[in-house]
Amino acid sequence: MSLMGNERKDLKILYVLVTLGLSAILLYPLGCVLMQSFATQGEEAGLFHNYTALLNQERFWVALGHSFTVSGLSALISASLAFLCAYGLHFTLIDKRIKKIFQIIVLLPLFLPSITYGFAVIYSFGRLGLVSQLIAPPPFSIYGFWGLLFADVIYTLPAAFLILHNAFYYVDRNFTIVSRLMGDSPLRTFYMTAFRPVAGALISAFILSFFLAFTDFGIPVSIAGEYSVIATELYMTMMGAIPNFGEGAVIAMAMLVPSIVSVVLLRYAERFNFRYNKLSKGDVSANPLRDRLFMGYYGLIALALLSVFVVMFVVPFVKQWPYQPYFTLDVVKRILSDDAVWQVYTHSVAVALASAFVGCVVCFVAGLIKARSNLSGWCQTTMDIFAMIANTVPGMVLGIGFLFAMSGTWLANTFLILILANLVHFFTTPYMMATSAFSKMNAGWETTGALMGDSWIKTVWRVIIPNSWSTILHMFQYFFVSAMVTISAVVFLTGARTMLLTTKIKELQYFEKFEEIFVLSLLIFFTNVFAKCLFDYLAEQAEKPNNTFFQSLTRTLNQLISKLWGRRATSQSLS
Amino acid sequence: MLELHNVCKRFGDRDILTDINLSIQKGEIVSILGPSGCGKTTLLNLILGLTDITAGKLFCDGEDLSRVPMQKRGFNIVFQDFALFPNLNAYENIVYGLRNRPNTSSQEEVNELIDLLGLRKHLDQRIDELSGGQKQRVAIARTLVMKPKVLLLDEPLSALDGIIKESIKERIRRVARQYKLTTLIVTHDPEEALTLSDRVLIINNGKIAQFADPQTIVNEPADDFIRQFILRQLNVKRSNILKLFNESHAHEIPQNTWERAGYHIHQAVA
Repeated sequence: MSLMGNERKDLKILYVLVTLGLSAILLYPLGCVLMQSFATQGEEAGLFHNYTALLNQERFWVALGHSFTVSGLSALISASLAFLCAYGLHFTLIDKRIKKIFQIIVLLPLFLPSITYGFAVIYSFGRLGLVSQLIAPPPFSIYGFWGLLFADVIYTLPAAFLILHNAFYYVDRNFTIVSRLMGDSPLRTFYMTAFRPVAGALISAFILSFFLAFTDFGIPVSIAGEYSVIATELYMTMMGAIPNFGEGAVIAMAMLVPSIVSVVLLRYAERFNFRYNKLSKGDVSANPLRDRLFMGYYGLIALALLSVFVVMFVVPFVKQWPYQPYFTLDVVKRILSDDAVWQVYTHSVAVALASAFVGCVVCFVAGLIKARSNLSGWCQTTMDIFAMIANTVPGMVLGIGFLFAMSGTWLANTFLILILANLVHFFTTPYMMATSAFSKMNAGWETTGALMGDSWIKTVWRVIIPNSWSTILHMFQYFFVSAMVTISAVVFLTGARTMLLTTKIKELQYFEKFEEIFVLSLLIFFTNVFAKCLFDYLAEQAEKPNNTFFQSLTRTLNQLISKLWGRRATSQSLS
Repeated sequence: MLELHNVCKRFGDRDILTDINLSIQKGEIVSILGPSGCGKTTLLNLILGLTDITAGKLFCDGEDLSRVPMQKRGFNIVFQDFALFPNLNAYENIVYGLRNRPNTSSQEEVNELIDLLGLRKHLDQRIDELSGGQKQRVAIARTLVMKPKVLLLDEPLSALDGIIKESIKERIRRVARQYKLTTLIVTHDPEEALTLSDRVLIINNGKIAQFADPQTIVNEPADDFIRQFILRQLNVKRSNILKLFNESHAHEIPQNTWERAGYHIHQAVA
């Protein structure tokens, strides 16, 4: 009967709501996919008919093999490049500003939908591409394997980089000194002090890059051409001329298997990580040759990344690429004056904002249950299990699951279904942001609040939330940017009236309207850049000790709520 | 005023506390002393209501509080790390509970507390701008504003250094006397316990080793544990300090055979 009665009731209700909700939008759709994979038409015998039918087709194995090859190779390249990028940021004495600029450049791909890179690579390195014309066309065809590989590396580089960059923060600099004093050769020192400590992160980066490339839809649909991969096979089976849902479901299950294996391996790789509690931030030794080499390296990477993006800014601003490369604003003006464009834009932004809002609330509550409640360990593990499953399911499988689960119902072709899909798809990272922040907060706050007469909700409102603004903003930003660029789940769920920018781009591909594609991509890009700057700024403000903006925000909200609930605001003594 | 009858606490198959029987008067300052892991914080949590009592009963002013929820018992606690709310300044922390129960303390009473704890100059400061001692006093003020029947303190002095310790000790004593407030303090430091409190409750392995006033404990320790754990510490400290000030320490005759021998040898040789 300790912190009894009311807290448990509030929490228990929330727990049930969250569990039921997440089960409905995560477990149920997955179950539907499983069920569909066994569904047969007519009198065909056997539960596994769809499975045997598919596994007997050579095209399936070819596509699967291609997927593994290109994803594996791009993951290898990505992880290696990212390792050197991150190493350079921590272990060289290059000017801080240059390091900052490079970090921005390497994270640029996160602000665009993956489908755009496919087209950007074609327009840069294709036969008549920007780079091809300026320098020289590549010796291989950009359609198919090579384009896929290049675009996948660009796509996965930011994620791999973030993992390794973060891992290097936990490396103890003093190790280098100790290693040298023990007489290690420079190579051995490098191995022991820079490579081995981040080995776990390296493996994680590789596995994550593999997973991202394997499950991505945007790049294959734009640049794979004849080189079939699982993603394109799945899409064609589901949305092609003759849809075969049963077979599609089997392909979806097939996509799920490497995903599950990846995530399991990721958790195993965690074991190689050691985290030091007391880190010494020693100085880096001076070495101009090393610094110059890294500058060159950064230059190359930046050039490769930017060369792909610059085409996005060039094509819409010329009369007709590539035959009439004269600067003009006419093309852009024409496209932006089309109401349809703005309508789709509004859809995307609205869905992104709504997904962010709903996502923040759900992840916040789930995080509270996991990290700051007295509920039984079993309840807390449930939240983790949801996060793990949400993390493992590829967007396409999720989209298909939603399609099976909700087509024919009132939810089909609504914005709500898109919001729910985003919520589940991007659940894990913000959930972990929340649990991480909550577990660092003082453990005595809820008890203190309770002793002062607060109900649990009151303490959450008056103490926990005001101290989590920075985290909440980062969560919001993550949901928003991810929702703006996502395509793999929503491509199955958008209807004629609920188009999003990314699915519109897919549609424009069919009509070969590439200028429109790039203009829409630019819209997404600038919106995301604006959102990132805005939320970064707000989060920074929230962390400052005298964050009067948030104090007055909280007070205004408090007063509003008091008025709505008709309670007397007893805040005379509080300024 | 506060009585525990045969209180036991089990976690799974581990007995944390067994057969705790004690009776505390109103306005007494009682220290709960013991080595790490002896169960003293658990005892505090039982009294507060943060954890359930496995067996036994807890009475306050004759009323059985064993199954009463924490918020309804009328006790309050100051945690070891203070648990102050960083989004509010010192004053807002102190009056936090008045939002829920506005009539608990009047403005004059709040002001009196602020002055008693010397916090007048710090009211507008943010929590992270305060020193350890100031935070401690804000945390105490916050609890006292709610006029608890019993005040619990979990290792209040362990986060503080030297001189501040003495000053906080003094303030705790003053507050307890002025408000006739029953105060329970958990500590692992014998010196703190024996100099601050009216009576000391010594816990060892989940059982009460002795519950008496400081003089009795020093002169008539109940068992060897107390002698070894508590008195020896104090004696060593004492002789170190006396040596530092170059005074003779010939008056204290050690109880233990070995120490007595050493003492005699020392006398012979010195």
